[in-house]
Amino acid sequence: MFTPLITTARESLRYRGSGHVLWLLHRVTGLGVVIFLGTHIFGMSMATFNPPLHEAMLAVYKTPLFSVGEIVLAACLIFHAVNGTRIAILELRPALWDKQAVATRWSVIITLILLAPTIAVMAFKSISYYVTHGLK
Amino acid sequence: MKINLKIKRFNPETDKKPHWETYAVEVEPTDRVLDALHDVKWNQDGTLALRRSCAHGVCGSDAMRINGRNMLACKVLIQNIAKDGDTITVEPILGLPVVKDLIVDMEPFFAHYRAVMPYLVNNDPLPANGRERLQSPADRERYDDTTKCILCAACTTSCPSFWARGEYVGPAAIVQAHRFIFDSRDQAAQQRLEILSAQDGVWRCRTAFNCTEACPRGIQVTKAIGEVKEALRTGVIR
Repeated sequence: MFTPLITTARESLRYRGSGHVLWLLHRVTGLGVVIFLGTHIFGMSMATFNPPLHEAMLAVYKTPLFSVGEIVLAACLIFHAVNGTRIAILELRPALWDKQAVATRWSVIITLILLAPTIAVMAFKSISYYVTHGLK
Repeated sequence: MKINLKIKRFNPETDKKPHWETYAVEVEPTDRVLDALHDVKWNQDGTLALRRSCAHGVCGSDAMRINGRNMLACKVLIQNIAKDGDTITVEPILGLPVVKDLIVDMEPFFAHYRAVMPYLVNNDPLPANGRERLQSPADRERYDDTTKCILCAACTTSCPSFWARGEYVGPAAIVQAHRFIFDSRDQAAQQRLEILSAQDGVWRCRTAFNCTEACPRGIQVTKAIGEVKEALRTGVIR
């Protein structure tokens, strides 16, 4: 390995390129989803192994910070899925690769189209919950 | 116009780590970044080390990261990347050991290049007239794009997969392999495909498209990598 991990991570943020931004976002959102998955599996397994801890985790999930986190998670999932589909299609059809700039634009547009109602619904439900139950 | 040239400097004999130095340079808008670097080296600080040869975008010696992107210093006009009073950052390409200032050790890059057998393999007897092996214009056109590579390393050193793992053969080596894999006269395509299907072959490509953007010759690098992947996936070279 010629460059250490820290250098790679730092330079990944410093490099300028249109495809590079999407590559970086794909990595970050993928990492976010994996971290959530680990937390989720751990939390659910506690329902069997340590019910009080499971209850405590559920209580923490019902706080505004985690409600915002859920919306961020949804954004990560949607972007990762849409952009991943773009990558998969281009991987399977190299002939389309000269259209990658258009494909990149459409990835962002489709993500935003799917994200807008998702955020609206999730935010509405969260606000309704806190109006009914109050902040703890 | 006046610009500031912010250059990442590193002298292994005196420095523990790289540092930035800024030079004010008077340039014409139509000057190239290489001209500004020459001004620094010839008139301000002779210790600045950079590599360049033809200075006309053919030899590929002066690939460097300019304003955060890999480019050839001799092909970038100042007016296209800066306005009067702006600062242009210049640093060595990433992923190869820095020898001094903007000069990197290209040997690991060339080792990857050599690994993909970048030469024509044809064990058939020579044609009866003893001259070249002919092919149709269509067959020649098939790999025309990847013949343009000048081995400047701008693509390979723009690749995040290569930064993270120097053992990855990198875009330039795959482009060179592509040039011969799809050559109708060549007989070693399967050997090259075997090399490229190994752990540090084409599958490390994550389609960031940095290589395509960085190529000073306009080669569709990511597409070429995709075609090699397709040949591996389908077993068909077309």
